[in-house]
Amino acid sequence: MTYALVLGRRALREAIRTPEAIVPTLFIPLFFLVVNVGQAARIFPGSSTEFLHGQGYGAFQLPSSMLLAASFGSAALFLVEEIEGGYFDKLRATPVPRSAIVLGRLLAEGVKALLIASLIVLLGLIFGITIASGVLGFVLLILLTASWAVVYSGFMQVIALKTRSAAATNSAGLVFFPLLFLTPNFVPRNLLTHPMEVAATINPVTYLMEGMRSLILQDLRWETIGLGYLVVVVAGIIMLAISVRVIRNYD
Amino acid sequence: MASAAAAVEAEGLVKTYRSRAGTVEAVRGVDLRVDAGEVFGFLGPNGAGKSTTVRMLTTLLSITDGTARVAGADVAREPDAVRRQIGVALQEAGLDPRQTGRELLELQGRLFNLSADEAAARAVELLQLVELTDAADRSIKGYSGGMKRRLDLASALVHDPEVLFLDEPTTGLDPASRLTVWDEVRRINERGTTVFLTTQYLEEADQLCDRLAIIDDGRIVREGTPERLKADLRERLGLRSDVTLDDVFLDATGRTRIHVAGEVQEVSR
Repeated sequence: MTYALVLGRRALREAIRTPEAIVPTLFIPLFFLVVNVGQAARIFPGSSTEFLHGQGYGAFQLPSSMLLAASFGSAALFLVEEIEGGYFDKLRATPVPRSAIVLGRLLAEGVKALLIASLIVLLGLIFGITIASGVLGFVLLILLTASWAVVYSGFMQVIALKTRSAAATNSAGLVFFPLLFLTPNFVPRNLLTHPMEVAATINPVTYLMEGMRSLILQDLRWETIGLGYLVVVVAGIIMLAISVRVIRNYD
Repeated sequence: MASAAAAVEAEGLVKTYRSRAGTVEAVRGVDLRVDAGEVFGFLGPNGAGKSTTVRMLTTLLSITDGTARVAGADVAREPDAVRRQIGVALQEAGLDPRQTGRELLELQGRLFNLSADEAAARAVELLQLVELTDAADRSIKGYSGGMKRRLDLASALVHDPEVLFLDEPTTGLDPASRLTVWDEVRRINERGTTVFLTTQYLEEADQLCDRLAIIDDGRIVREGTPERLKADLRERLGLRSDVTLDDVFLDATGRTRIHVAGEVQEVSR
Protein backbone atom coordinates (compact mmCIF):
# COMPACT_ATOMS: atom_id res chain seq x y z
CA MET A 1 0.00 0.00 0.00
CA THR A 2 2.93 2.33 0.69
CA TYR A 3 4.02 2.03 -2.92
CA ALA A 4 0.49 2.76 -4.15
CA LEU A 5 0.39 5.87 -1.94
CA VAL A 6 3.77 7.08 -3.22
CA LEU A 7 2.64 6.54 -6.82
CA GLY A 8 -0.74 8.09 -6.05
CA ARG A 9 0.94 11.26 -4.75
CA ARG A 10 2.91 11.44 -7.98
CA ALA A 11 -0.29 11.07 -10.05
CA LEU A 12 -1.93 13.85 -8.03
CA ARG A 13 1.05 16.12 -8.65
CA GLU A 14 0.66 15.33 -12.34
CA ALA A 15 -3.04 16.29 -12.20
CA ILE A 16 -2.28 19.57 -10.47
CA ARG A 17 0.30 20.38 -13.14
CA THR A 18 -2.15 19.70 -15.98
CA PRO A 19 -5.24 21.75 -15.09
CA GLU A 20 -6.23 21.68 -18.77
CA ALA A 21 -7.10 18.00 -18.30
CA ILE A 22 -9.47 18.79 -15.39
CA VAL A 23 -11.38 21.68 -16.97
CA PRO A 24 -13.51 19.51 -19.34
CA THR A 25 -14.28 17.17 -16.43
CA LEU A 26 -16.01 20.05 -14.74
CA PHE A 27 -17.26 22.06 -17.68
CA ILE A 28 -18.99 19.37 -19.81
CA PRO A 29 -21.14 17.89 -16.98
CA LEU A 30 -22.19 21.37 -15.90
CA PHE A 31 -22.98 22.24 -19.50
CA PHE A 32 -25.26 19.16 -19.77
CA LEU A 33 -26.89 20.06 -16.46
CA VAL A 34 -27.71 23.57 -17.62
CA VAL A 35 -28.95 22.40 -21.06
CA ASN A 36 -31.08 19.53 -19.74
CA VAL A 37 -32.65 21.66 -17.03
CA GLY A 38 -33.22 24.49 -19.52
CA GLN A 39 -35.02 22.12 -21.87
CA ALA A 40 -37.18 20.15 -19.43
CA ALA A 41 -37.65 22.27 -16.30
CA ARG A 42 -40.95 23.73 -17.53
CA ILE A 43 -42.31 20.28 -18.38
CA PHE A 44 -41.56 19.13 -14.85
CA PRO A 45 -42.30 22.01 -12.45
CA GLY A 46 -41.14 21.28 -8.92
CA SER A 47 -44.48 22.32 -7.38
CA SER A 48 -46.58 19.74 -9.24
CA THR A 49 -44.16 16.93 -10.19
CA GLU A 50 -44.35 14.14 -7.64
CA PHE A 51 -40.98 12.52 -8.43
CA LEU A 52 -39.14 15.79 -7.68
CA HIS A 53 -40.23 15.71 -4.01
CA GLY A 54 -40.65 19.49 -3.93
CA GLN A 55 -37.30 20.37 -5.55
CA GLY A 56 -36.57 21.75 -9.02
CA TYR A 57 -35.67 19.60 -12.05
CA GLY A 58 -31.99 20.49 -11.52
CA ALA A 59 -31.94 18.32 -8.39
CA PHE A 60 -33.23 15.37 -10.47
CA GLN A 61 -30.55 15.95 -13.14
CA LEU A 62 -27.64 16.48 -10.76
CA PRO A 63 -26.68 12.75 -10.48
CA SER A 64 -26.35 12.49 -14.29
CA SER A 65 -23.87 15.34 -14.31
CA MET A 66 -21.95 13.89 -11.38
CA LEU A 67 -21.73 10.49 -13.09
CA LEU A 68 -20.62 12.13 -16.30
CA ALA A 69 -17.88 13.99 -14.43
CA ALA A 70 -16.85 10.73 -12.79
CA SER A 71 -16.39 9.14 -16.21
CA PHE A 72 -13.98 11.82 -17.42
CA GLY A 73 -10.96 10.58 -15.48
CA SER A 74 -7.65 11.16 -17.22
CA ALA A 75 -5.72 8.34 -15.52
CA ALA A 76 -5.88 6.03 -18.52
CA LEU A 77 -4.69 8.66 -20.97
CA PHE A 78 -1.77 9.59 -18.72
CA LEU A 79 -1.00 5.87 -18.52
CA VAL A 80 -0.89 5.53 -22.32
CA GLU A 81 1.43 8.54 -22.42
CA GLU A 82 3.65 6.84 -19.89
CA ILE A 83 3.66 3.58 -21.86
CA GLU A 84 4.57 5.42 -25.06
CA GLY A 85 7.25 7.51 -23.31
CA GLY A 86 8.90 4.54 -21.62
CA TYR A 87 8.32 5.61 -18.00
CA PHE A 88 5.89 2.75 -17.49
CA ASP A 89 8.73 0.29 -18.20
CA LYS A 90 10.88 2.17 -15.73
CA LEU A 91 8.21 1.58 -13.09
CA ARG A 92 7.86 -2.07 -14.10
CA ALA A 93 11.60 -2.54 -13.66
CA THR A 94 11.30 -1.64 -9.96
CA PRO A 95 10.46 -4.28 -7.35
CA VAL A 96 7.06 -2.75 -6.48
CA PRO A 97 4.01 -5.01 -6.73
CA ARG A 98 2.43 -4.69 -10.18
CA SER A 99 -0.92 -3.94 -8.54
CA ALA A 100 0.57 -0.83 -6.86
CA ILE A 101 1.27 0.69 -10.28
CA VAL A 102 -2.44 0.40 -11.15
CA LEU A 103 -3.70 1.35 -7.69
CA GLY A 104 -1.53 4.47 -7.41
CA ARG A 105 -3.28 6.16 -10.30
CA LEU A 106 -6.68 4.99 -9.07
CA LEU A 107 -6.10 6.47 -5.61
CA ALA A 108 -5.28 9.80 -7.22
CA GLU A 109 -8.36 9.50 -9.41
CA GLY A 110 -10.47 8.93 -6.28
CA VAL A 111 -9.12 12.07 -4.60
CA LYS A 112 -9.70 14.14 -7.75
CA ALA A 113 -13.24 12.78 -8.08
CA LEU A 114 -14.02 13.62 -4.42
CA LEU A 115 -13.03 17.22 -5.05
CA ILE A 116 -14.84 17.53 -8.38
CA ALA A 117 -18.04 15.89 -7.08
CA SER A 118 -17.99 18.18 -4.02
CA LEU A 119 -17.56 21.19 -6.28
CA ILE A 120 -20.50 20.19 -8.52
CA VAL A 121 -22.77 19.64 -5.49
CA LEU A 122 -21.68 22.96 -3.96
CA LEU A 123 -22.50 24.72 -7.23
CA GLY A 124 -25.89 22.95 -7.14
CA LEU A 125 -26.46 24.19 -3.60
CA ILE A 126 -25.73 27.75 -4.72
CA PHE A 127 -28.45 27.36 -7.39
CA GLY A 128 -31.05 26.17 -4.90
CA ILE A 129 -30.62 22.39 -4.89
CA THR A 130 -30.73 20.87 -1.41
CA ILE A 131 -29.46 17.50 -0.23
CA ALA A 132 -32.56 16.10 1.44
CA SER A 133 -30.62 13.35 3.25
CA GLY A 134 -28.48 15.91 5.11
CA VAL A 135 -24.76 15.93 5.84
CA LEU A 136 -24.48 12.14 5.97
CA GLY A 137 -26.30 11.99 2.65
CA PHE A 138 -23.87 14.54 1.19
CA VAL A 139 -20.91 12.44 2.28
CA LEU A 140 -22.49 9.24 0.90
CA LEU A 141 -23.28 11.01 -2.39
CA ILE A 142 -19.71 12.24 -2.85
CA LEU A 143 -18.24 8.88 -1.85
CA LEU A 144 -20.49 6.99 -4.25
CA THR A 145 -19.51 9.28 -7.12
CA ALA A 146 -15.80 9.08 -6.33
CA SER A 147 -15.94 5.28 -5.98
CA TRP A 148 -17.57 5.03 -9.40
CA ALA A 149 -14.91 7.33 -10.84
CA VAL A 150 -12.24 4.96 -9.50
CA VAL A 151 -13.99 1.89 -10.93
CA TYR A 152 -14.57 3.50 -14.32
CA SER A 153 -10.98 4.78 -14.50
CA GLY A 154 -9.83 1.29 -13.63
CA PHE A 155 -11.67 -0.16 -16.63
CA MET A 156 -10.21 2.57 -18.81
CA GLN A 157 -6.73 1.71 -17.53
CA VAL A 158 -7.31 -1.92 -18.53
CA ILE A 159 -8.12 -0.73 -22.05
CA ALA A 160 -5.00 1.47 -22.01
CA LEU A 161 -2.85 -1.48 -20.94
CA LYS A 162 -4.35 -3.79 -23.55
CA THR A 163 -4.34 -1.39 -26.50
CA ARG A 164 -1.42 0.92 -25.56
CA SER A 165 -3.15 3.44 -27.78
CA ALA A 166 -4.47 6.86 -26.84
CA ALA A 167 -7.02 6.76 -29.69
CA ALA A 168 -8.45 3.39 -28.60
CA THR A 169 -8.55 4.47 -24.95
CA ASN A 170 -10.28 7.70 -25.86
CA SER A 171 -12.88 5.87 -27.95
CA ALA A 172 -13.53 3.41 -25.13
CA GLY A 173 -14.40 6.36 -22.92
CA LEU A 174 -17.39 7.05 -25.14
CA VAL A 175 -18.92 3.73 -24.03
CA PHE A 176 -20.20 5.59 -21.00
CA PHE A 177 -22.61 7.68 -23.03
CA PRO A 178 -24.98 4.81 -23.98
CA LEU A 179 -24.70 3.53 -20.40
CA LEU A 180 -25.65 6.95 -19.09
CA PHE A 181 -28.58 7.42 -21.44
CA LEU A 182 -29.99 3.90 -20.98
CA THR A 183 -30.95 4.92 -17.46
CA PRO A 184 -33.87 6.82 -15.96
CA ASN A 185 -31.91 9.91 -16.93
CA PHE A 186 -34.81 12.29 -17.61
CA VAL A 187 -37.69 10.65 -15.74
CA PRO A 188 -38.00 7.87 -13.12
CA ARG A 189 -37.92 4.26 -14.31
CA ASN A 190 -41.68 3.71 -13.98
CA LEU A 191 -42.33 6.49 -16.50
CA LEU A 192 -40.08 5.06 -19.21
CA THR A 193 -41.43 3.19 -22.23
CA HIS A 194 -41.32 -0.58 -21.76
CA PRO A 195 -38.17 -1.28 -23.89
CA MET A 196 -36.33 1.59 -22.19
CA GLU A 197 -37.46 0.38 -18.79
CA VAL A 198 -36.07 -3.10 -19.54
CA ALA A 199 -32.77 -1.60 -20.77
CA ALA A 200 -32.54 0.63 -17.69
CA THR A 201 -33.27 -2.28 -15.36
CA ILE A 202 -30.43 -4.31 -16.89
CA ASN A 203 -28.01 -1.37 -16.84
CA PRO A 204 -26.05 -1.26 -13.55
CA VAL A 205 -25.55 2.52 -13.88
CA THR A 206 -29.31 2.89 -13.23
CA TYR A 207 -28.85 1.71 -9.64
CA LEU A 208 -26.01 4.14 -9.08
CA MET A 209 -28.10 6.97 -10.43
CA GLU A 210 -31.15 6.00 -8.38
CA GLY A 211 -29.00 5.74 -5.25
CA MET A 212 -27.54 9.18 -5.82
CA ARG A 213 -30.91 10.65 -6.71
CA SER A 214 -32.55 9.30 -3.57
CA LEU A 215 -29.81 10.98 -1.49
CA ILE A 216 -30.58 14.33 -3.13
CA LEU A 217 -34.37 14.15 -3.27
CA GLN A 218 -35.36 12.02 -0.29
CA ASP A 219 -34.18 11.03 3.15
CA LEU A 220 -31.78 8.13 3.66
CA ARG A 221 -33.39 5.22 1.81
CA TRP A 222 -30.89 2.50 2.63
CA GLU A 223 -32.20 -0.08 0.18
CA THR A 224 -31.75 2.22 -2.82
CA ILE A 225 -28.43 3.59 -1.55
CA GLY A 226 -27.21 0.05 -0.79
CA LEU A 227 -27.96 -1.06 -4.36
CA GLY A 228 -25.88 1.83 -5.69
CA TYR A 229 -22.96 0.91 -3.46
CA LEU A 230 -23.36 -2.79 -4.34
CA VAL A 231 -22.96 -1.96 -8.04
CA VAL A 232 -19.74 -0.06 -7.27
CA VAL A 233 -18.36 -2.84 -5.06
CA VAL A 234 -19.10 -5.63 -7.57
CA ALA A 235 -17.80 -3.61 -10.53
CA GLY A 236 -14.77 -2.62 -8.44
CA ILE A 237 -13.91 -6.23 -7.62
CA ILE A 238 -14.22 -7.22 -11.29
CA MET A 239 -12.14 -4.22 -12.37
CA LEU A 240 -9.37 -4.94 -9.84
CA ALA A 241 -9.23 -8.63 -10.78
CA ILE A 242 -8.93 -7.81 -14.49
CA SER A 243 -6.43 -4.96 -13.89
CA VAL A 244 -4.10 -7.08 -11.79
CA ARG A 245 -4.26 -9.93 -14.31
CA VAL A 246 -3.58 -7.61 -17.25
CA ILE A 247 -0.63 -5.82 -15.64
CA ARG A 248 0.92 -9.09 -14.42
CA ASN A 249 0.78 -10.50 -17.95
CA TYR A 250 1.90 -7.26 -19.57
CA ASP A 251 4.79 -7.98 -21.94
CA MET B 1 25.39 -24.54 -13.37
CA ALA B 2 25.70 -20.80 -12.79
CA SER B 3 29.03 -19.66 -11.47
CA ALA B 4 29.08 -17.28 -8.48
CA ALA B 5 31.10 -14.73 -10.45
CA ALA B 6 28.57 -14.43 -13.30
CA ALA B 7 26.55 -11.21 -13.13
CA VAL B 8 24.46 -12.24 -16.12
CA GLU B 9 24.08 -15.73 -17.49
CA ALA B 10 21.68 -16.88 -20.19
CA GLU B 11 21.27 -20.28 -21.77
CA GLY B 12 19.23 -20.95 -24.87
CA LEU B 13 17.25 -17.73 -24.50
CA VAL B 14 14.37 -17.64 -26.97
CA LYS B 15 11.66 -15.08 -27.63
CA THR B 16 8.90 -15.66 -30.13
CA TYR B 17 5.94 -13.42 -30.87
CA ARG B 18 2.72 -14.35 -32.53
CA SER B 19 1.60 -11.89 -35.15
CA ARG B 20 -1.01 -11.92 -37.89
CA ALA B 21 1.72 -12.93 -40.33
CA GLY B 22 2.67 -15.91 -38.17
CA THR B 23 5.25 -16.58 -35.49
CA VAL B 24 8.22 -14.23 -35.33
CA GLU B 25 11.42 -15.47 -33.69
CA ALA B 26 13.09 -12.35 -32.32
CA VAL B 27 15.73 -14.18 -30.27
CA ARG B 28 16.72 -17.74 -31.24
CA GLY B 29 18.73 -19.35 -28.49
CA VAL B 30 21.12 -16.82 -27.00
CA ASP B 31 23.85 -18.04 -24.64
CA LEU B 32 25.61 -15.30 -22.69
CA ARG B 33 27.88 -14.92 -19.73
CA VAL B 34 28.88 -11.58 -18.24
CA ASP B 35 31.32 -11.64 -15.35
CA ALA B 36 30.84 -9.41 -12.32
CA GLY B 37 32.62 -6.08 -12.73
CA GLU B 38 32.75 -6.20 -16.53
CA VAL B 39 31.52 -3.67 -19.05
CA PHE B 40 29.90 -5.98 -21.56
CA GLY B 41 28.91 -4.70 -24.97
CA PHE B 42 25.99 -6.16 -26.86
CA LEU B 43 26.08 -5.16 -30.50
CA GLY B 44 23.96 -5.88 -33.51
CA PRO B 45 22.19 -4.31 -36.45
CA ASN B 46 18.68 -2.87 -36.06
CA GLY B 47 16.16 -5.60 -35.36
CA ALA B 48 18.83 -8.18 -34.50
CA GLY B 49 17.33 -8.91 -31.06
CA LYS B 50 19.44 -6.66 -28.79
CA SER B 51 16.60 -4.82 -27.09
CA THR B 52 14.45 -7.96 -26.90
CA THR B 53 17.27 -9.76 -25.09
CA VAL B 54 17.75 -6.83 -22.70
CA ARG B 55 14.02 -6.65 -22.02
CA MET B 56 13.97 -10.35 -21.15
CA LEU B 57 17.01 -10.03 -18.87
CA THR B 58 15.46 -7.06 -17.08
CA THR B 59 12.13 -8.89 -16.47
CA LEU B 60 10.20 -6.56 -18.78
CA LEU B 61 9.45 -9.28 -21.32
CA SER B 62 8.53 -12.90 -20.72
CA ILE B 63 11.00 -15.58 -21.81
CA THR B 64 9.60 -18.05 -24.35
CA ASP B 65 12.31 -20.65 -23.74
CA GLY B 66 15.67 -21.00 -22.05
CA THR B 67 16.90 -19.68 -18.72
CA ALA B 68 18.53 -16.50 -17.49
CA ARG B 69 20.06 -15.51 -14.18
CA VAL B 70 20.91 -11.95 -13.29
CA ALA B 71 22.79 -11.07 -10.09
CA GLY B 72 22.29 -14.63 -8.95
CA ALA B 73 18.50 -14.69 -9.31
CA ASP B 74 16.41 -16.54 -11.88
CA VAL B 75 14.76 -13.97 -14.14
CA ALA B 76 11.56 -15.96 -14.72
CA ARG B 77 11.13 -17.38 -11.21
CA GLU B 78 12.40 -14.53 -9.03
CA PRO B 79 11.72 -11.36 -11.00
CA ASP B 80 11.50 -9.14 -7.90
CA ALA B 81 14.88 -10.37 -6.66
CA VAL B 82 16.33 -9.46 -10.07
CA ARG B 83 14.63 -6.04 -10.05
CA ARG B 84 16.15 -5.23 -6.65
CA GLN B 85 19.66 -5.80 -8.05
CA ILE B 86 19.48 -4.16 -11.45
CA GLY B 87 19.35 -0.65 -12.80
CA VAL B 88 17.73 -0.09 -16.17
CA ALA B 89 18.08 2.76 -18.65
CA LEU B 90 16.27 1.82 -21.82
CA GLN B 91 16.53 3.09 -25.38
CA GLU B 92 14.01 5.89 -24.83
CA ALA B 93 14.92 7.82 -21.70
CA GLY B 94 11.91 6.69 -19.64
CA LEU B 95 11.12 9.78 -17.64
CA ASP B 96 7.98 11.47 -16.42
CA PRO B 97 8.09 14.90 -18.11
CA ARG B 98 5.77 16.49 -15.54
CA GLN B 99 8.08 15.88 -12.61
CA THR B 100 11.27 17.70 -11.74
CA GLY B 101 14.57 15.84 -11.82
CA ARG B 102 14.68 15.80 -8.03
CA GLU B 103 11.11 14.49 -7.68
CA LEU B 104 11.79 11.73 -10.18
CA LEU B 105 14.89 10.53 -8.33
CA GLU B 106 13.17 10.75 -4.94
CA LEU B 107 10.23 8.72 -6.23
CA GLN B 108 12.58 6.14 -7.70
CA GLY B 109 14.30 5.89 -4.31
CA ARG B 110 10.97 5.34 -2.54
CA LEU B 111 10.11 2.57 -5.01
CA PHE B 112 13.37 0.88 -4.02
CA ASN B 113 12.40 0.98 -0.35
CA LEU B 114 14.35 4.05 0.75
CA SER B 115 12.72 6.24 3.40
CA ALA B 116 11.68 9.76 2.34
CA ASP B 117 14.83 11.25 3.95
CA GLU B 118 17.13 8.63 2.44
CA ALA B 119 15.55 9.11 -0.98
CA ALA B 120 16.01 12.88 -0.76
CA ALA B 121 19.67 12.53 0.25
CA ARG B 122 20.32 9.99 -2.52
CA ALA B 123 18.69 12.30 -5.07
CA VAL B 124 21.09 15.12 -4.06
CA GLU B 125 24.06 12.76 -4.42
CA LEU B 126 22.98 11.51 -7.84
CA LEU B 127 22.15 14.96 -9.16
CA GLN B 128 25.71 15.96 -8.30
CA LEU B 129 27.08 12.82 -9.94
CA VAL B 130 25.37 13.53 -13.26
CA GLU B 131 25.88 17.29 -12.94
CA LEU B 132 22.22 18.22 -12.86
CA THR B 133 22.10 19.99 -9.49
CA ASP B 134 21.32 23.34 -11.09
CA ALA B 135 18.41 21.86 -13.05
CA ALA B 136 17.15 19.67 -10.19
CA ASP B 137 13.96 21.63 -9.56
CA ARG B 138 13.07 22.30 -13.16
CA SER B 139 10.44 20.30 -15.00
CA ILE B 140 11.98 17.41 -16.98
CA LYS B 141 9.94 18.56 -19.98
CA GLY B 142 12.45 21.38 -20.44
CA TYR B 143 15.59 19.20 -20.25
CA SER B 144 17.78 18.70 -23.32
CA GLY B 145 18.32 15.18 -24.74
CA GLY B 146 21.66 14.88 -22.99
CA MET B 147 20.25 16.01 -19.64
CA LYS B 148 17.41 13.48 -19.95
CA ARG B 149 19.89 10.68 -20.64
CA ARG B 150 21.98 11.65 -17.62
CA LEU B 151 18.91 11.83 -15.41
CA ASP B 152 17.75 8.44 -16.70
CA LEU B 153 21.17 7.05 -15.86
CA ALA B 154 20.98 8.57 -12.38
CA SER B 155 17.53 7.09 -11.80
CA ALA B 156 18.91 3.66 -12.70
CA LEU B 157 21.56 4.06 -9.98
CA VAL B 158 19.30 5.09 -7.09
CA HIS B 159 19.62 1.75 -5.30
CA ASP B 160 23.29 1.06 -6.13
CA PRO B 161 22.49 -1.83 -8.46
CA GLU B 162 24.83 -4.77 -8.97
CA VAL B 163 24.15 -4.82 -12.70
CA LEU B 164 23.33 -1.81 -14.84
CA PHE B 165 21.58 -2.37 -18.17
CA LEU B 166 22.02 0.46 -20.65
CA ASP B 167 20.14 0.08 -23.90
CA GLU B 168 21.68 2.39 -26.50
CA PRO B 169 22.38 5.12 -23.93
CA THR B 170 23.96 7.55 -26.38
CA THR B 171 21.66 7.21 -29.39
CA GLY B 172 20.69 10.65 -30.61
CA LEU B 173 23.16 12.52 -28.41
CA ASP B 174 25.63 15.12 -29.63
CA PRO B 175 29.33 14.20 -29.35
CA ALA B 176 29.87 16.19 -26.14
CA SER B 177 26.90 14.55 -24.37
CA ARG B 178 28.06 11.16 -25.62
CA LEU B 179 31.48 11.66 -24.05
CA THR B 180 29.82 12.70 -20.77
CA VAL B 181 27.77 9.49 -20.74
CA TRP B 182 30.92 7.45 -21.49
CA ASP B 183 32.64 9.08 -18.52
CA GLU B 184 29.65 8.24 -16.33
CA VAL B 185 29.67 4.63 -17.46
CA ARG B 186 33.39 4.32 -16.66
CA ARG B 187 32.91 5.94 -13.26
CA ILE B 188 29.97 3.64 -12.45
CA ASN B 189 31.96 0.58 -13.49
CA GLU B 190 35.00 1.65 -11.45
CA ARG B 191 32.76 1.57 -8.39
CA GLY B 192 32.11 -2.13 -8.99
CA THR B 193 28.88 -2.13 -11.00
CA THR B 194 28.67 -4.57 -13.87
CA VAL B 195 27.49 -2.78 -17.01
CA PHE B 196 25.56 -4.50 -19.80
CA LEU B 197 25.55 -2.05 -22.68
CA THR B 198 23.81 -2.32 -26.02
CA THR B 199 24.95 0.04 -28.69
CA GLN B 200 25.05 0.58 -32.41
CA TYR B 201 28.18 2.70 -32.13
CA LEU B 202 31.20 0.47 -32.57
CA GLU B 203 33.56 3.18 -31.37
CA GLU B 204 31.56 3.27 -28.14
CA ALA B 205 31.95 -0.47 -27.71
CA ASP B 206 35.67 -0.25 -28.47
CA GLN B 207 36.13 2.55 -25.93
CA LEU B 208 34.07 1.16 -23.10
CA CYS B 209 33.73 -2.60 -23.25
CA ASP B 210 35.95 -5.27 -21.74
CA ARG B 211 34.16 -7.90 -23.78
CA LEU B 212 31.38 -7.88 -26.31
CA ALA B 213 29.00 -10.08 -28.20
CA ILE B 214 27.50 -9.45 -31.62
CA ILE B 215 23.96 -10.62 -32.23
CA ASP B 216 22.47 -10.99 -35.67
CA ASP B 217 19.09 -12.37 -36.63
CA GLY B 218 18.46 -13.45 -33.03
CA ARG B 219 21.72 -15.42 -32.62
CA ILE B 220 25.11 -14.59 -31.13
CA VAL B 221 27.56 -14.61 -34.02
CA ARG B 222 30.76 -13.35 -32.27
CA GLU B 223 31.87 -13.05 -28.66
CA GLY B 224 35.15 -11.97 -27.09
CA THR B 225 37.30 -8.99 -26.18
CA PRO B 226 37.47 -6.28 -28.87
CA GLU B 227 41.19 -7.00 -29.34
CA ARG B 228 40.66 -10.75 -29.65
CA LEU B 229 37.84 -10.32 -32.18
CA LYS B 230 39.97 -7.98 -34.31
CA ALA B 231 42.99 -10.32 -34.11
CA ASP B 232 40.85 -13.31 -35.11
CA LEU B 233 39.55 -11.51 -38.17
CA ARG B 234 43.01 -10.34 -39.16
CA GLU B 235 44.30 -13.91 -38.87
CA ARG B 236 41.39 -15.48 -40.67
CA LEU B 237 41.55 -13.08 -43.61
CA GLY B 238 45.35 -13.03 -43.62
CA LEU B 239 45.43 -9.22 -43.43
CA ARG B 240 48.59 -7.29 -42.65
CA SER B 241 46.89 -4.00 -41.87
CA ASP B 242 44.94 -3.31 -38.70
CA VAL B 243 41.26 -4.13 -38.69
CA THR B 244 38.65 -2.16 -36.80
CA LEU B 245 35.62 -3.23 -34.83
CA ASP B 246 33.57 -2.02 -37.82
CA ASP B 247 35.27 -4.70 -39.93
CA VAL B 248 34.52 -7.33 -37.28
CA PHE B 249 30.91 -6.22 -37.14
CA LEU B 250 30.45 -6.25 -40.91
CA ASP B 251 32.12 -9.64 -41.18
CA ALA B 252 30.03 -11.09 -38.35
CA THR B 253 26.72 -9.85 -39.59
CA GLY B 254 27.27 -10.77 -43.23
CA ARG B 255 27.09 -7.15 -44.29
CA THR B 256 29.43 -5.27 -46.52
CA ARG B 257 29.95 -1.72 -47.64
CA ILE B 258 29.57 -0.54 -51.19
CA HIS B 259 30.00 2.82 -52.83
CA VAL B 260 26.79 4.09 -54.38
CA ALA B 261 26.77 7.50 -56.02
CA GLY B 262 29.82 8.52 -54.05
CA GLU B 263 28.36 7.49 -50.68
CA VAL B 264 29.26 4.50 -48.57
CA GLN B 265 26.26 2.24 -47.92
CA GLU B 266 25.99 -0.87 -45.80
CA VAL B 267 24.23 -3.81 -47.47
CA SER B 268 23.60 -7.46 -46.71
CA ARG B 269 25.70 -9.89 -48.63
